[in-house]
Amino acid sequence: MTCPLHRNPITAVEGPAVGVSIEHLSKNFGRLQALRDVSFAVEPGEIFVLMGPSGSGKSVLLKHIVGLEAPSDGRVLIEGRDATAEGTLENVRIAMVFQAGALFNSLSVYDNLALYPREHRLGTEAGIREKVMRALQILSLENTAHKFPSELSGGMKKRVAIARALVMEPQLMLYDEPTSELDPIMGATISEIIATLRDEYHVTSVVVSHDRELALGIADRVGILMDGSLVFLGAPAELHAPEDPRIANFFHPKIDLKNPRFKSLEA
Amino acid sequence: MNTAQQSARVGLFFLLGLALTWVTWETLSDGKLFKKNGYSLIAGFENLKELKQGDEVRMAGVKIGAVEKTRLAGRRAEAVLRIDPNVRVASDATASIVMAGLIGTNYIGLDLGTPGAPVLTDGAELRTKVTPDLNAIMADLGNLGQKLDGALSSITNSLSGDSKNPGFFQKLDRLVADNSAKFDSTMTNLSAVTEKLNKGEGTLGRLINDPSIHDQLVATVVEIKGAAAEAKTFVANAQAIVDQVKTGKGTLGALIFDETTGNDIKVVAANLRDLSQKIAKGEGTLGKLLSDDSLYLGMQSTLKKADRAIDGLGDTGPITAVGVAAQVLF
Amino acid sequence: MNQLTSILEGFGRAMLLLIESGRHLGTLPRQRARFIEQCYLIGYTTLPIVAILCFFMGSVLALQSGYSMENFGAKQFIGSLVGLSFARELGPVIVAILVAGRVGSAITAELASMKVYQEIDALVTMNIPPARMLVLPRLAAVLVMMPVLTIIGILIGWFGGAVVCTYVDFISIEPEAYFAALRSFMQFKDVGTGILKAEIFGFVIVLICCSIGLNTRGGPREIGASVTKAVVASLISILVLDYFVTKALL
Repeated sequence: MTCPLHRNPITAVEGPAVGVSIEHLSKNFGRLQALRDVSFAVEPGEIFVLMGPSGSGKSVLLKHIVGLEAPSDGRVLIEGRDATAEGTLENVRIAMVFQAGALFNSLSVYDNLALYPREHRLGTEAGIREKVMRALQILSLENTAHKFPSELSGGMKKRVAIARALVMEPQLMLYDEPTSELDPIMGATISEIIATLRDEYHVTSVVVSHDRELALGIADRVGILMDGSLVFLGAPAELHAPEDPRIANFFHPKIDLKNPRFKSLEA
Repeated sequence: MNTAQQSARVGLFFLLGLALTWVTWETLSDGKLFKKNGYSLIAGFENLKELKQGDEVRMAGVKIGAVEKTRLAGRRAEAVLRIDPNVRVASDATASIVMAGLIGTNYIGLDLGTPGAPVLTDGAELRTKVTPDLNAIMADLGNLGQKLDGALSSITNSLSGDSKNPGFFQKLDRLVADNSAKFDSTMTNLSAVTEKLNKGEGTLGRLINDPSIHDQLVATVVEIKGAAAEAKTFVANAQAIVDQVKTGKGTLGALIFDETTGNDIKVVAANLRDLSQKIAKGEGTLGKLLSDDSLYLGMQSTLKKADRAIDGLGDTGPITAVGVAAQVLF
Repeated sequence: MNQLTSILEGFGRAMLLLIESGRHLGTLPRQRARFIEQCYLIGYTTLPIVAILCFFMGSVLALQSGYSMENFGAKQFIGSLVGLSFARELGPVIVAILVAGRVGSAITAELASMKVYQEIDALVTMNIPPARMLVLPRLAAVLVMMPVLTIIGILIGWFGGAVVCTYVDFISIEPEAYFAALRSFMQFKDVGTGILKAEIFGFVIVLICCSIGLNTRGGPREIGASVTKAVVASLISILVLDYFVTKALL
């Protein structure tokens, strides 16, 4: 797939990319400790890939950044503003691409994309239409404009979700498992889109994924979460020969039929 | 379905709701708010009882309007009536509050008035009349009971008398004492008659000696007792008579208070004595009565008739009372 | 104890949602299209079932009262009985129960699935409060549609009673007599009371159903649980409120 981004540049993002600072973040759900004292910072314009096995607290951390969850302890700062404080979402445009897309099932693809500018009265209907069609073009989705989300394939849903995030002209993009459940080619395409958007618009991106190719291919920095704790923070190059056996096991799992892991898990 | 179609349907639906609400309003409140047809009349009452806003106004039973509102005006209650514009109410028509049923609503009833009378105009005052309601009737009944009590006690007083004024019985006592000799002879004659009767002679003899007749008489007396109980209600009238007796007016008064009448009674007593002698001999009408059997049969049928009459009285009395009450109530 | 706290919690959530929706009242004119869509769903599409149920409730009421009142010769009051009980009590309650079952369940199912499939989260990240976009138009629509549904329900109920009174042999009252009896004991106030009650019920139903839908947690299985919970809570609220509202309005 060719990337049509250069031919159809989207209108310039207002305001610069923002940085995210996570300070001693802990989160408990009852007795379950999802996050334990996590601290790191994402620089403006950076692609930060957060990796980790399932259930390690990646998605929960992402929800903290966008203010959907409140920290049990510590805080999340976006450009110095507390993520849960009222008004943060009004002053900083944060777009989140949900794992399953979270498209509005009752609205067509076009209306899904147009919802944000319409609700916030960003321009006339004609202006909104132009903006929406451009976002759809960027992701090669022009033909789906009048389809409903239930008529789309998984990969198309993810692209529509990204297009919807683009229409918001965000300063911070959050991706929750953007390449999961996709075939390798579509996964690579999504990775390319994420990188291109960063390059073109200098938008800060936080990507939660366990896609090794994506992390190694587009990340500026990688963080690895295990059982709610940050066990690695550094450039992707450092992951080729990790010292920590847990990270090595996660990043380069060897299929060992003589000593299968699920047997040792039992014990 | 497109949005315009949806909007149209919702709009129509909403208008339908508005229209139905309006129709219901019109029907249930007789369009009080939307049209003020007709003219108003004012009817003042001492008490509006159960009358309320929205009740009907009927003239000779036909609905001609409604009670618009009720209010207090000084020392009386006023009902403002809204009358249909094409109905003319005569100025001498009288309004009254009528109960439509025991648990039903009330309405204001107007009579037609006289044909030539002038017509009432907007805001005019209606003549009203008070109709008794259930509570008033009950109160009246209570008053009646008290009056009966008073009447009965004054009769007792006049009969027994007090220390100053000799009563009826004292006077009667004196009368009898004065004429004891004459009574004695009368009694002698009477005993002769009684002997005859004992032997079963004459109508009266048979009357007394026939046991079936005795039973009949006993029954009659019982019924008479019943009738007497009802007759008590008429004692009130007797009070007037007793008053007259006290003042010496009328026959009985003269009898008791007048000396000359006492002399007349002596003559009567003498005549009575003669009469009883004649009866003893079987002379005259009463003598015949005592000696003639044919009269016995006549008497028997008369007794039966009295019997039936008393029965009839026993039945119809309470019914009439209920009828009166019912007419007032319904 | 847990039950009690969860009831109180639900009550508190509903109140917060109401306040939150009220804060966005000014956006209602902009949301005209959504408002009309909700009016259509809440009012127009609920009409057939309201009509059918009210007709038969009116009929049965007339039939039962005719059967029992005939014994003491009070047949002529059937109109009054059906009229008053339908306007003051049955009309609003039947409409409210139907709205709870038909509209309330749909609202909860929709909002719960939006919550479970993260659409609500997406709205929040887009800085579009769900209370504004999802709750406010529904509350406004139910306020506008309840009176319409109720007046239609009441009139159809009366009509149902009249049909039974006319065509059932042992009652056989002329429609004129039936409606005269109905009118003689009624004022518009009675109908107005009924409409006001329905208004309160409808508002509470939509608020409860929105609140429970938006507070759904977990997966698709919880959508069904939420719908059940919302309908049960609505029905209980209708009947409990009915007592207190009736008492307050008497």
